[in-house]
Amino acid sequence: MSKFKAICLLMILTLLLSGCWSKRELNELAIVAALGIDKVDDEFKITVQVVVPGEISSKQPSSGRSPVITYHSTGATVFEAIRKMTTVTARKLYFSHLQIVVLGDELAKEGINETLDLISRDHEFRNDFEVIVANVATADEVLNVLTPIEKVPANKLLNSLKTSEKTWGTTESIKIDELINTINNKTTSVVISAIEIQGNKNVGMEQTNVKRSKSPVLLKYTGLAVFKKGKLIGLLTEDESRSLSFLRDKIQSTIEILACPKGDTLATEITHSKTKIKGKFENGAPKINVSIDVNQNVGEVLCKIDLTKEKSIHFINKKTEELIKKRIEETIRSVQQNYRVDIFGFGEELHRTNPKEWKKIKKDWLTIFQELPVKVEVHVNTQGVGTMENSLVSKSKGE
Amino acid sequence: MSISKITDTSQNNDQLYSSLSQNLKMIKNTLGNSDDLIIREITIGKAEKYAFAIIYVDGLTDKISISDSVIDKLMLDIEASDETETDKIIRYLRDSCLTVGDVNDIFNFSTLYNSILNGDTVILLDESSTGIVTSTKGAKDRAVMEPSTESVIRGPRESFTETLRTNTALIRRKIKSPNLWIKSRIIGEVTKTDVAVMYLNDIANDKIVAEVLARLDRINIDGILESGYIEDFIQDSKYSIFPTVYNSERPDVIAGEILDGKIAILVDGSPFVLIVPALFTSFLQSAEDYYQHWMISTLVRLLRFFGISLALVAPSLYVAITTFHQEMLPTAMLISVASQREGVPFPAIVEALIMEVAFEVLREAGLRMPRTIGPAVSIVGTLVIGQAAVEAGIVSAVMVIIVALTAICSFLFPAYSLSNTVRALRFPLMILASILGLFGLMFGLMIIVLHLCSIRTFGVPYLSPFGPLILKDQKDALVLFPRRALLTRPRLISQKNTVRGHKYFDTKKRNQSNV
Repeated sequence: MSKFKAICLLMILTLLLSGCWSKRELNELAIVAALGIDKVDDEFKITVQVVVPGEISSKQPSSGRSPVITYHSTGATVFEAIRKMTTVTARKLYFSHLQIVVLGDELAKEGINETLDLISRDHEFRNDFEVIVANVATADEVLNVLTPIEKVPANKLLNSLKTSEKTWGTTESIKIDELINTINNKTTSVVISAIEIQGNKNVGMEQTNVKRSKSPVLLKYTGLAVFKKGKLIGLLTEDESRSLSFLRDKIQSTIEILACPKGDTLATEITHSKTKIKGKFENGAPKINVSIDVNQNVGEVLCKIDLTKEKSIHFINKKTEELIKKRIEETIRSVQQNYRVDIFGFGEELHRTNPKEWKKIKKDWLTIFQELPVKVEVHVNTQGVGTMENSLVSKSKGE
Repeated sequence: MSISKITDTSQNNDQLYSSLSQNLKMIKNTLGNSDDLIIREITIGKAEKYAFAIIYVDGLTDKISISDSVIDKLMLDIEASDETETDKIIRYLRDSCLTVGDVNDIFNFSTLYNSILNGDTVILLDESSTGIVTSTKGAKDRAVMEPSTESVIRGPRESFTETLRTNTALIRRKIKSPNLWIKSRIIGEVTKTDVAVMYLNDIANDKIVAEVLARLDRINIDGILESGYIEDFIQDSKYSIFPTVYNSERPDVIAGEILDGKIAILVDGSPFVLIVPALFTSFLQSAEDYYQHWMISTLVRLLRFFGISLALVAPSLYVAITTFHQEMLPTAMLISVASQREGVPFPAIVEALIMEVAFEVLREAGLRMPRTIGPAVSIVGTLVIGQAAVEAGIVSAVMVIIVALTAICSFLFPAYSLSNTVRALRFPLMILASILGLFGLMFGLMIIVLHLCSIRTFGVPYLSPFGPLILKDQKDALVLFPRRALLTRPRLISQKNTVRGHKYFDTKKRNQSNV
């Protein structure tokens, strides 16, 4: 019996040894939804967007206070700046629910590599948040803009990033671990979606920004930013961004606009796209073949075309093929000439196909890339014409 | 009608006197002249030469049978007899006069007291040291009614009463087998409570039967007022919080368990019949499981299992996640929970303890208070706990949901005794969770499981058929197979006769005999 008691006592005491060391009550936390990093005069300027839970909750009537608060601080390192922030924040910052990290324009130009160290090293950060770059703005300015519908701007940033990736193809979500892997890989260069502020930056901070039906200030994704060795070197246009998505096989759905044979236009909706990149060496010279299989539906007809005829469908298929092919080839040429970095992952593909040959050209890859012959083949299959056959336009014009 | 002689084992000074007046004086003295002791003295026979006394305790006896079968016969029939010797008169009375089923001779006082206190009537004759005891038991008892603690939609509507005989009869009516044996014991130095052990002789494990009887014989106490007394004495691990003796007030449940080879213990004065050995799974199975479609029963059992787990861990899970592992919640949910925690002055554990204790108090109050105050308490409970506490900002709304969920889940238990265990275990788990988070919760759960693995009930592992894993018995554990697949009895309980039936034809036959 005494033995039993002793064992019980020991067990209870063992529990007390550890204490409540990592205990934190929910209302002692400041939930950080977004983190912005800028570079100001050789110092890091950190902006955190902290959620005010009481304002988000739908139950309580809004007191008119902002649903998020941003805090700023500067320091020689990111870590220092974050810790310094406790002097201004009411509560301990809690980073596990970080949704998105915004890198400032200046910082991106100077190089992002060292910035990422802390957020991938610290255990409090999860590694499933997205990274974006501010275009012609500081991260601070981006995070200060209040957004309608989504009360937490970080959610809006995340949602539009994902939605436009799925249905338009000009953005590409990249999680922090993926980003760091790509940077480490050295062959392929990093591209990060870029965001810009439309409208007057100062108005965006005001509550009025979310009180009108037409917000004066909006956050908009403008395309993909190209990095070379961790430094921002340029921004792809919308078309180029979409081509890149095609090449990386990231397109889930997008729109193509074709010219009809008798003038006017017709839009198709791409419902499925599969890209295969094949690399090969011919006498030591690398070559890339790209083949893209696309399924599409006719989305909107603004011209006179008889969709009931097979000929028209052939025409649409051929036109779309040409369009996509042309755009992709232009993009590749433009990247090869202007940016001179392999953002498509061609190098990796060549490495995979023939590691021995790759070793020989590895050193001069970026030079070779500039002249790399790329053959693009697109195969389009139109599956449906939507819920009506011929358009009102063709009927009215036919009469 | 068999007449057996009660063997006289008592000492000589316990012997009945031959003088009637001396006997009566002795009886009155011993019973302290109690009011309910009725002694009717009559003198009958030709020339009124026989002095008789009829002794019984009022309220325990059936008055009609006393007047019709005892007094009536004595007064009228004795006239016809012309016996003169007292011994012959006693024999005449016993053999051809009294029209009562059970008649015995008695020779000593202790048997006499036992008999009259059990509701029998004793007839004493002057100048004879032999008395006659006639069975006239007829105390007021409750009718067989619907079970109040284990209700079912479909199934028999009867439940045990406080009378032992009624209860054994209820079981006998379900199992009409000569192999259904009853072994009786009288336990309690003062209360002399009848205890009956019922089992199927050809199925129940002889060793367990012997062990049950041995444990019953070891009990030495002044009184047994409810089967809970017996349960406490005979259970294996007195320090375990888990019940190792099953109880039910439903004859169909008890009959089902007896058919499994288990042993029922009935205690006079309690409608709750005990069953040993009780396995953990028994406490999670409802009688109705067997009366409805097996697929439904399986679903219900899984749901019950889920609910019961929730009843055990829901508050501690909430405490652990909100104070240690906020990263486990989806962001939107975290914000929503955090917004409700805003302004709550207590840490989550204090909040949880307040609400859980408040609920337990309400529940206990609801059980004990007079029925007429019921609505008042529930209104106060709902308003205070549900609404006012949240509006006052003392506790968060989520916490109220968690407590309500836990409360509802704890009513899912078909067996009340296990529900109490889970209620009690919730608190240490909450405290563990508040100190160590999920780690502490897992630690607590592990101790519980290890403990469960270590318990045995009458030699049978408590967790079987899960630990040890018995594949054959899984057919009626967490899930329920169709009747025609349940051809064997639980393996560890009845090792003697494990075959329930053979394929469909025999199953059909068995069902017919059961109905």
